[in-house]
Amino acid sequence: MTSEWLTPPTRTELIENLVSGVDRYNPSNVGILEDYLYHQIRSEEYDCLANLAILKLYQFNPDLYNPDVVINILIKALTAAPLPDFNLCISLLDERSINAQLDEPDPLPTVLPILKGLHNLLFRCRFPAFWEIYQSSQLENLRDNYTVEVAGFENAIRAVAIRAVRATFTRISSERLGSYLNLSESELPTYIQKLGWTVDSSTGVVTIPPNPDNQIEATVVQESVKLPRACCVPCKYETC
Amino acid sequence: MAQQRLALWNAEEDLEEDVDLTMALENYTQEMHYDDSQISQPQIDESTFIAMQQHMAQQAAFQQIPDVVKSFIVHFHQAVLDNNLAEITVAYESGWNKYTEKFYSKTEWPEAELIAPLVNDDPIFLILYRELYYRHVYSRLQPNIDDRFHSYENSCELFNYLLNSDGPVQLELPEQWLWDIIDEFIYQYQVFCTWRSKVTSKTPDELMMLAEGGPVWSSYSVLNVLYSLMQKSKINEYIVAAREGKSPEEIAEIVGEYGQRPLYRMLGYFSIIGLLRVHVHLGDFTLALKVMENVELNQKSPFTRVTACHVATYYYVGFCYLMLRRYPDAIRTFVTILNFIMRMRQYHTRSYQYDQINKTADRMYALFAICSALSPSRFDDNIANIAKERYGEQFAKMSRGGTFHLCLPQIYHRQPPPYEDPAAISALLEASNDPDSPSQPSPQTDSTRRHLDVFLADVSAQLQVPTLRSFLKLYTSLGAKKLANFLDADEEELVQEMMVLKQASRSISRVPGSEGTSLLEGQMITTSDLNFVIDENMVHIAESTVGRRYAGWFIKNTERTQKILDDLKHMPLPVSSKPNGGASAAAPPTETVTQNRQTRKVAWGGVKAA
Repeated sequence: MTSEWLTPPTRTELIENLVSGVDRYNPSNVGILEDYLYHQIRSEEYDCLANLAILKLYQFNPDLYNPDVVINILIKALTAAPLPDFNLCISLLDERSINAQLDEPDPLPTVLPILKGLHNLLFRCRFPAFWEIYQSSQLENLRDNYTVEVAGFENAIRAVAIRAVRATFTRISSERLGSYLNLSESELPTYIQKLGWTVDSSTGVVTIPPNPDNQIEATVVQESVKLPRACCVPCKYETC
Repeated sequence: MAQQRLALWNAEEDLEEDVDLTMALENYTQEMHYDDSQISQPQIDESTFIAMQQHMAQQAAFQQIPDVVKSFIVHFHQAVLDNNLAEITVAYESGWNKYTEKFYSKTEWPEAELIAPLVNDDPIFLILYRELYYRHVYSRLQPNIDDRFHSYENSCELFNYLLNSDGPVQLELPEQWLWDIIDEFIYQYQVFCTWRSKVTSKTPDELMMLAEGGPVWSSYSVLNVLYSLMQKSKINEYIVAAREGKSPEEIAEIVGEYGQRPLYRMLGYFSIIGLLRVHVHLGDFTLALKVMENVELNQKSPFTRVTACHVATYYYVGFCYLMLRRYPDAIRTFVTILNFIMRMRQYHTRSYQYDQINKTADRMYALFAICSALSPSRFDDNIANIAKERYGEQFAKMSRGGTFHLCLPQIYHRQPPPYEDPAAISALLEASNDPDSPSQPSPQTDSTRRHLDVFLADVSAQLQVPTLRSFLKLYTSLGAKKLANFLDADEEELVQEMMVLKQASRSISRVPGSEGTSLLEGQMITTSDLNFVIDENMVHIAESTVGRRYAGWFIKNTERTQKILDDLKHMPLPVSSKPNGGASAAAPPTETVTQNRQTRKVAWGGVKAA
């Protein structure tokens, strides 16, 4: 489960050496990791540990700090909900005051609360609210400057919703699913088909195939007495 | 009359005015000149004079040192020279603390320069002595900026000696001390970061010193020391080789000349734990667990030989799990070590670190309470009871939800933020590099608050979970609309909340059989007894229950009966009935015992068959 998160199959050997070795502290490697981040953004890949390594370098070397990179890392981390990736990134950020070295004003202080809000909505499974806010005019800046560059961002968010739905439902109405995925009636069927789910054309109810999380069974947990331990009881005193 | 008497004072002044002051002064200067020429020789060599004065002052100070302390230092030095571990341990663990209590509970120990003559100016011993000296300053007194800088320099000298001598050094130190060296090094780094972040309370001089301090207590230099110790001792290679069951010769081959020496091996080991702590301090919880990759968390690991290290390891690992939202793992970690502390209580009350261990344990009970409120599960009863005893009120509030965020900070703050100011380093450096604007408050000072906010945001997302759970417990199936009515909530909102509940009852956790893999490995598991699924608008609920446990009761009572039987058998037979000689008297009891044994075995066989 976590091994893919620890070492994504898409991670190259070069990055692996950086992430796992002492070289991760070398400021001159920040470029390689940043390039890797932009590669992730273009090709729908995700490597949390490599991105944390960038934030680590920023933490130690404030002169390397690049707000755009930070924002992109956070956007990628959003799509990992409900895993704690977003919080792990936040923990490595310092609330820096205005960075005078930058030519342009630092966009992070304004974007960060927005991203935190979006993360909160995702973590609380408020998917319709997420889409509403995400598409609001206040967030135009975020969409036009950042998420538009992130290939498959909306689909990655849909995947978050899918994970939650798959664990919770056996059947769900198309209407509800559509509001979680922000898909119209016409778009939804193809999307459902891709997932391998089935939809009843007359009622519009989507059936979610059984998986370990949406199968429930009442069980009684019986204690299991391990024999060697029970055997020890008489032995303990015989040796005395 | 009174006025008259006051006038007397004025009169005196008048008298003085009569004297020709200039004359008198001239006389004085003349005299001075004269004197000068007479004793010009010693006056020219002022430095010698000062040195002499200093020497005398030092001698006076030296004489101030109680004789027992002097002989203690001489003795201590000899033990270090002889690499006599037993003697060093006694001097380190008991002697030093004894004299600290007796003579230096409120003042510094004598400066290293002062006691240098006692130890033939042995530079190594003086470094070790300073290590103890500064540790005492940090723990008992208020270290000033000089202390902070010098303790750093001394640590560097020590590590330099260990790492950059020609080949491994021949020094031997007790494991406890080696751990304390690493532990203290990181502790001083942390307090330095905290202290540095309080820019406003500093004098311009201090800010200047900070600005010029350069790498003093920088994160890079601290990491450098820890990584160097790990690499020099090849500790990771050693652990892997030992786990693979390689022979001592093969291991010696692998770890090289440094890693073979216990001093380096243990320092390497403790450096891993040190790194864990530094990374937690810096807010990097994944990396913290990643450096522990090769260390096995079990009671047989070498780090368990030093109790303080054992406790710290579990504390930080548990904390990482908490921040990674892996509550079952965090609970397991805390329970293991809290049980250990409880069992060891009778032994470590004698340890000088008893207080420290107790404080850490107390924090872990608080963290345990947080984890079990977030992820209720069947946990260890002993620990749960103690946690409830200490944090009962907060625990009840948290379990009920609602006021979670109100009581949480109280508990959370009990644990000292292991990351006082994670990223502050940068801004601190900026602030200190810029002494013109020292009044600008650093935004980093309150980073604990920030971490707390992150954690609280997580927790508040789960506020409704306990309430929902308690409602679901009452039903096997229930319409979403009805449930929404109960909770006075909108149906759509409720359905979304149910997804949160589902999320909250799943967690990544280490699973049995994953021993020997990274601490970050794990699989998704169910953490709750209560399971549910939504079929369109109908909620179906299933609960797993635990059957009654009989085995424990039977085992306990079997043991007790067995004990009674044994006691009966060991009771002396009535002597009066056997007046014969000793030799024949000895035989019959043995016979009865064997007979008894046989009958007992039959009895056990019967139980099994039934």
